[in-house]
Amino acid sequence: MKISPSTSWRLKDTLYRLALGKCKKCGNIKFPYQKICEVCGSLDVEKIFSKGTGSLVDYTILYQARDGFEKQSPMIVGLVRLDEGVDIVAPITDAEPSKLKEGVRVEAVFRRMRNDSYNGLIQYGIKFRVVLDAGNN
Amino acid sequence: MVSIVGCGLTKLDRYYELSEKDLVSEAYKQLITKIKEYDQPDIVIVSSGYIDVLGKNILSSYKISSGLGLQNTKVMRIENGDNGGASIFTAYSFIKSGVAKKVLLIGIEKFSDYPSKYVNEYLSYNLDNDYTYHVGITPHAYSALLMKKYMKKYNVDYEYFTKWPIKMHQNASENPLAYLKFKVDKNTVVNSQIVSDPLRIFDVGARADGASVVLVTADEVAKRYFDSPVKIDGIVGNIGAMNLSDPSLPSVAKARNELGDLPKRDVVYEIHDSYSIMAALEIEELKLAERGKGLDVVDSLDINLSGGLKARGYIGGGTAIYQLGEVFLHLTNQFKGKSANAEKGIILSNDDLGNTSYLAVLSR
Ligand SMILES: [Zn+2]
Repeated sequence: MKISPSTSWRLKDTLYRLALGKCKKCGNIKFPYQKICEVCGSLDVEKIFSKGTGSLVDYTILYQARDGFEKQSPMIVGLVRLDEGVDIVAPITDAEPSKLKEGVRVEAVFRRMRNDSYNGLIQYGIKFRVVLDAGNN
Repeated sequence: MVSIVGCGLTKLDRYYELSEKDLVSEAYKQLITKIKEYDQPDIVIVSSGYIDVLGKNILSSYKISSGLGLQNTKVMRIENGDNGGASIFTAYSFIKSGVAKKVLLIGIEKFSDYPSKYVNEYLSYNLDNDYTYHVGITPHAYSALLMKKYMKKYNVDYEYFTKWPIKMHQNASENPLAYLKFKVDKNTVVNSQIVSDPLRIFDVGARADGASVVLVTADEVAKRYFDSPVKIDGIVGNIGAMNLSDPSLPSVAKARNELGDLPKRDVVYEIHDSYSIMAALEIEELKLAERGKGLDVVDSLDINLSGGLKARGYIGGGTAIYQLGEVFLHLTNQFKGKSANAEKGIILSNDDLGNTSYLAVLSR
């Protein structure tokens, strides 16, 4: 059993909605959300949700798949700068590697991550895709 | 205050016929045949990253210690990513505080029982397990992104990184205990398999099986075991998230700042070259080279004479204990490979992406 229903439930804000922790004392924004500020140790951290938009700072094409992710190989892994100002490392989907460029606008999409062959559970989560009408907004 | 009096190191290899316990026994036999007097350690510390998930072992410190015929001792396992430095720090602290007079450090890892996609799965447990782990990413992808940032910031191309594997394989070719005992040229490295563009197979530490045991004692009893013990002058450590946006390793920088300037002559270094990019950044954070030029100094320093993780091989959480044994051998003129005529040895131990680091200083 690789996927725990209670873990998936607990992580729903992070995995499905990109919850960020915004420190009210020093202003640091952290992904994934955590209750205590990693920079100043303040307990006054607000949970906010990313708009799910940002730009692609950089990317790599990962050829060694992990167990359960074989069908997603090769996986494009991007360094995405969310518009809230946080850099996150995340999978990029629906993209032609040859057409990817640094600085291109990306948006979060909800996708299936892997399933558990033992009991049929499916793990979902957020990936990013290139915004097709970038430049019009 | 704290001395090293002996070690035993297995060759790093793929051992399909041997278990973790068997490998540790091999290393232990070497140790007890070399020390002058044999008695049981006060404390045994097992340093391993993946012995639970890969070897299906919980309570490994007890199982391994009883496999060595130990009857009266205290045991524990320390897991800190791939950072055996934490185990060395613990052994050092026990002795310095007077809690123990003899601590047996055991480094063990066994990677070859499973194909790499399973091993990659477990290595990815090092990543944050709120998001990154669940979406299928591996540490290799982080390393590739780090490498790309570095290439842009310092305007270097892939060839810059080939300096590390070429040097490491050259060193390993002289080390009888090395896993990959062959030399490589630039052409081989540049054309090797891509793991995560631009990261190639020769940029990644070679996972292997192996064990190391090192006996650490209080100074006052050291000469009962060995005539010329090596001293652990000190060990420092710190944490800090690896910075992908501006390639740097704050944990290494903070640990190094506690020690001040590090020597470049009469010293042998062993660093955690999980990736070529990590070797470059570690050398720079230790201030042994300017930013963007870490790999330009590999011929002017005695660094990873073993061949490093790249070619001597990489045994996960056992790595720093193995390095401790190697540096002990250097400082007692027993190292069988390319040797350094050094007065001091410095070990940098960190997890594969450098979020947590330890720096140990040894002297003759
Ligand atoms: Zn804060």
